[in-house]
Amino acid sequence: MEFPAERTVDARFMEPPQPFVATMEMLDTLQPGEEMLLLLYREPHPLYRVLQQNGHRWQTELQPDGTFAVRITC
Amino acid sequence: MQPKQALLSFDQSPPLSAPLRFFLTAPLFLVLAGLLVAVEGEALFASRWTPAALAATHLLTIGFMLQVMLGALIQILPVLAGANLARPALIAAIVHPGLSLGTLALAVGFLAGSTAWLYGAGLLLAISLLVFIAAAGWAIFRVPSTSPAIRGLKLSLLALAIAGGSGLFMLLALAGGWAVPLPALANLHAGWGLAGWSGILLAAVAYVVVPMFQLTPGYPARPAWWFPVAVVLALVLWSISVLLDADGLARGAQGLLALSGVAFVLQTLKLQSGRRRARADCTFRYWQGGLYASLAALLMLLLDAFLPALSTAPAWPLLFGVLILVGGFLAFIIGMLYKIIPFLLWFNLQHQAAVPGKPVPSMNKLLDDGEMQRQMRTFFAAFALLTAAVFQPDRLALPAGMIFALAGGWLGWNLLQAALRHRRHRLAGTS
Repeated sequence: MEFPAERTVDARFMEPPQPFVATMEMLDTLQPGEEMLLLLYREPHPLYRVLQQNGHRWQTELQPDGTFAVRITC
Repeated sequence: MQPKQALLSFDQSPPLSAPLRFFLTAPLFLVLAGLLVAVEGEALFASRWTPAALAATHLLTIGFMLQVMLGALIQILPVLAGANLARPALIAAIVHPGLSLGTLALAVGFLAGSTAWLYGAGLLLAISLLVFIAAAGWAIFRVPSTSPAIRGLKLSLLALAIAGGSGLFMLLALAGGWAVPLPALANLHAGWGLAGWSGILLAAVAYVVVPMFQLTPGYPARPAWWFPVAVVLALVLWSISVLLDADGLARGAQGLLALSGVAFVLQTLKLQSGRRRARADCTFRYWQGGLYASLAALLMLLLDAFLPALSTAPAWPLLFGVLILVGGFLAFIIGMLYKIIPFLLWFNLQHQAAVPGKPVPSMNKLLDDGEMQRQMRTFFAAFALLTAAVFQPDRLALPAGMIFALAGGWLGWNLLQAALRHRRHRLAGTS
């Protein structure tokens, strides 16, 4: 899943709640319809719930190295 | 940020008391097990089938391990799987006293050889397990298996049903004097309980929390998907081999089980060596100790698959039990408790019970690292003594049991102190 670095939050070595905060901050900078990528080593179920409440769409892919790549549409 | 942050309300988080009640009483069962080892001494180490050994084993496996695991699942199913238990407070209110009293009754039943206590234990444990498995099953089997962690949770719950069912069957057989092959059934019961339920659950949780808490790389996807399946397959083959009395199949299944476990342990050790957190905290040390002890136990299991004469020595199963239960699972669970409890208490103060104008104490203030370190050293000393006591029970059973009881009591004290600090902070805001 190729994505520009400025639209990617690589949260794989961040402690909670940093991945959540960084994702929400990036979403705040996007226009409706724009996309971002979140990378981390677990499925972010609590984040999914917030994304759903805020009306965002997302698609998750588990990569061979154990990274969950979550493509979020603002 | 604030409006979106506020949406992280965790409105579906269970009340703090639901998991906490399990965590605060579980260490008492470590104390009881330690005292039993000290009091029974050499007699307990005579064989794994002595009433005292059976009682001590179940004080550890149900009284401590199962209690903490169920309490933790009530809390973390939404985080691990996006699955929510309905009525978590009610479930905790049934399961917690049922498991606690059921375990005590079971230990008394074994020690006194009393059928009445055994039947009472069976009833309490059956109700507790049925309620939990039904509630957790309803939550978890409705979400798709989008990650190895969710697949692991589902399979571990099935294994818990088999371990619980076989345990209850043996309990009825023992109390009712039925003619069933208890040793073979007990091995299967232990296999489904330790490898199927505890082992798969540990892996499913580890897939999420090892990278999260220890800042390691993630578990590679393919082996993570396959580990729970391989364990269940090995246990099914083993169960069939007991029914058919097929020795070769049993050895193959045991070998597959051991190799699957070794692969998971080596993978986790490799991930730990690539961690980004420089400081080795208590959780890391507990897990490291647990991984090495489990590795030793799994190598014993592997050796036994090919050289079955080894396990006929009375010390063999006892040593295996001490390594896998005390050195392995207990270490993993205590290491996890030391992360989960400060986080839960801190999170509760931060988001659910905030005191206006009063800064929330840090997690380290709620549960001091020095206190955890001292308790951990005592625990590992007890583990070393228990291991040595397998070979010299006449001299070492008493000190091993006492130090183990001390380590268990110290854990309970540390957790209680953290809960009391949380309570004082809350009360300070309301007065």
